[in-house]
Amino acid sequence: MRRLTIRGIAAVGAAALLTLGTACSNEREGSADTADGKGFAKDALVGVALPAKTSENWVLAGDLFTSGLKEAGFKADVQYAGASTTVADQQAQISSMVTKGAKVIVIGATDASQLATQVAQAKQAGATVLAYDRLITNTADVDYYIAFDNFKVGRLQGQALVDGMKAKKPTGPWTVELFSGSPDDNNSKVFFDGAMDVLKPLIDKGDIVVGSGQTGIKQTAIQGWKAEIAQQRMDSLLTSTYGGGKTLDGVLSPNDTLARAVLTSVKGAGKPIPVVTGQDSEVESVKSIMAGEQYSTINKDTRKLVAETVNMVKSLQKGDKPTINDTKSYDNGAKVVPAYLLPPVIVTKDNAAESYAGDPKLAPLTK
Amino acid sequence: MSRMKDLQKNLFGGTTSNARQFGMISTLVAIVALFQIWTGGLTLTSGNLIAVVSQYSYILILAIGMLMVIVAGHIDLSVGSVAAFTGIVVAKAMQEYSLPWPLGIALGLLVGVAIGSWQGFWVAYVGVPAFIVTLAGMLLFRGGNQYIGNADTVPVPEGFREIGAGFLPEAGPDTGYNNLTLLLGAAACAGVVWREWRARRTRREMSADVAPVWVTAVRLAVMIGVIVFATLRFAGGRIGTSLPISGIILIALVLAYSHYTRNTIGGRHIYAVGGNARAAELSGVKLRRVNFLVMLNMSVLAALAGMIFVARSAASGPQDGLSWELDAIAAVFIGGAAVSGGLGTVSGSIVGGLVMALLNNGLQLEGVGSDMVQIIKGLVLLLAVAFDVYNKSQGRFSVIERLMRPFRRDEPAPPVEPSAPASDPGKAPVAG
Repeated sequence: MRRLTIRGIAAVGAAALLTLGTACSNEREGSADTADGKGFAKDALVGVALPAKTSENWVLAGDLFTSGLKEAGFKADVQYAGASTTVADQQAQISSMVTKGAKVIVIGATDASQLATQVAQAKQAGATVLAYDRLITNTADVDYYIAFDNFKVGRLQGQALVDGMKAKKPTGPWTVELFSGSPDDNNSKVFFDGAMDVLKPLIDKGDIVVGSGQTGIKQTAIQGWKAEIAQQRMDSLLTSTYGGGKTLDGVLSPNDTLARAVLTSVKGAGKPIPVVTGQDSEVESVKSIMAGEQYSTINKDTRKLVAETVNMVKSLQKGDKPTINDTKSYDNGAKVVPAYLLPPVIVTKDNAAESYAGDPKLAPLTK
Repeated sequence: MSRMKDLQKNLFGGTTSNARQFGMISTLVAIVALFQIWTGGLTLTSGNLIAVVSQYSYILILAIGMLMVIVAGHIDLSVGSVAAFTGIVVAKAMQEYSLPWPLGIALGLLVGVAIGSWQGFWVAYVGVPAFIVTLAGMLLFRGGNQYIGNADTVPVPEGFREIGAGFLPEAGPDTGYNNLTLLLGAAACAGVVWREWRARRTRREMSADVAPVWVTAVRLAVMIGVIVFATLRFAGGRIGTSLPISGIILIALVLAYSHYTRNTIGGRHIYAVGGNARAAELSGVKLRRVNFLVMLNMSVLAALAGMIFVARSAASGPQDGLSWELDAIAAVFIGGAAVSGGLGTVSGSIVGGLVMALLNNGLQLEGVGSDMVQIIKGLVLLLAVAFDVYNKSQGRFSVIERLMRPFRRDEPAPPVEPSAPASDPGKAPVAG
């Protein structure tokens, strides 16, 4: 009985080993060669991993990627991270895209420094990695970065502030207040530095006076880009600095949400409306610009950015080197990532109709 | 007994079967088969299996601890926050004080012990319900993570990344496979055969019924088949990849905790406390100590899971650990644990976790959006538990009843399980 048992066990075990051993195919191979200049199939899979659908912009980008890549003949796999488990979701989605054999993976990172492992995996499987809008940091496995030029955004905001104030009051000195974005957002500093690049010389000359004396990024930062915090700060500035009839000529605001918060605060205090800058072309702000309240915003056309990204994928498919226009500025901590930067466009009441002509949502507002 | 019944009784379950677990193994097989066909064979490729293991190992590690917490009649909502807190402490310590990474891991485990003692103290010695203590802990340690990390992302050094993103090295002659993984697989096969042989011997020595030889043989063939298949898949991935280090940590933990909860006095005490705390105390179980240790253990495992995630992500961030507690709790309940405590097994929870993991992975491979994935996972959780509850309340066919009936006759006390170690097929897919 016992001998029989052992013999039976051994026989069945051996049989199982043999059948399964032969049935298993082996996927072993070295890391694929990802050098440019080889291209890939015209109908290859292109993966697009985007953050959670928390802003209209990402939803629009996803839709545009789906249609744009299909039009170009690729198979598109566009994925958003879940709202509550963003980072882990995005990691899993990128891994799945690699498994499915995506040739290019476009990533709008939820947390730009937590994707090193997945990006390395993509690279080893032979995929090209494009960082879309947000630079992926601490890894050498990112191939290209594509985004709007954020330093330029800051410069345009600074210039718009000066232009707007000059239009209202031809000679200085002008009194201004400065606002900057959330300190945990890398871009905040870039916007602020860009604006100060224009404003600093004028401040040094005395043409521009910062009423409260608060010119540092720490003092001017608005945590989490929150409108209510910006409004609170503006309220206290108005009481502390502009209580005695001093006029405020302009406010540097890094985006539209904060710009409207500043305007709300100024109107609440019954003061004349200053020149206020913005960014993002939000619907409410475009209305405000047309009504003559907010002075300017920035148009970063998601359509253009997606179209350029799809173009990049197309040149990679053909085996060409994609167009890049910056090879020095974007150091992600592991390497300098070659970037293609799109120029942002400043929008005021004067050029709004022209700037938003192609935008079905904003164009009617400018008529 | 007819041959069919023999097979049913002995093949998947032996003597310590938990019915929902049996149901879940079939569900797991069905899900794998479904997605294997649907994705055109992508699910069972080496690359995908390796990705699944490294993506979900930390959730499965949490599920082990969560099972013990739930069996003891508690719940732990703080695991995600504890994991995130540990992650940021370790990352900061290594970045700012250039702590070597092995010490970083030790520090992380110590943080887990400290947090676990804190929570265990309130639960066991003050008597605050674990739900409240860990709800507080969830806020406390999430806030702690953001306070220490400044809501920023902190990178970790290369060596540390191994525990989350590392693989077994390539060694020995070129066999076309990762040799170390092959060795592990061979060891697993030998272990399974040895355990089966010893179980038969023990039963014979105790003059108990021994399952027919052919049943043993079929069961072994199934298990060895799964192990061999898994081994070849994990060993046959891209060069440089193999069974992930995090998967090996997981397997070691599953084996250790299965043994502890099933075969040791301390482990059985947890079931006794969860089944009837008052009775357990009167029989001499040190209630407070059991509760304290269960909570302590959970936080240590959460700390480990947090470090593995940070290692895999190459950085610790403010969003780490969000809603992990829910994934771990879902895995445990899908795996057959009772909400009232006292019931459930480690291997069942792992199967439950794998069901969720493969469901997630398969849907992602199919390009289903994360919104739909969440809806489907929610429904699966609800249906898995509702199915069994409904069957029982109707007094109709219930998987549990059916599988428990044969044992009731000779084993009237379900919480105290018979000593014969039985097969545990639920472990096989991971163990390979």
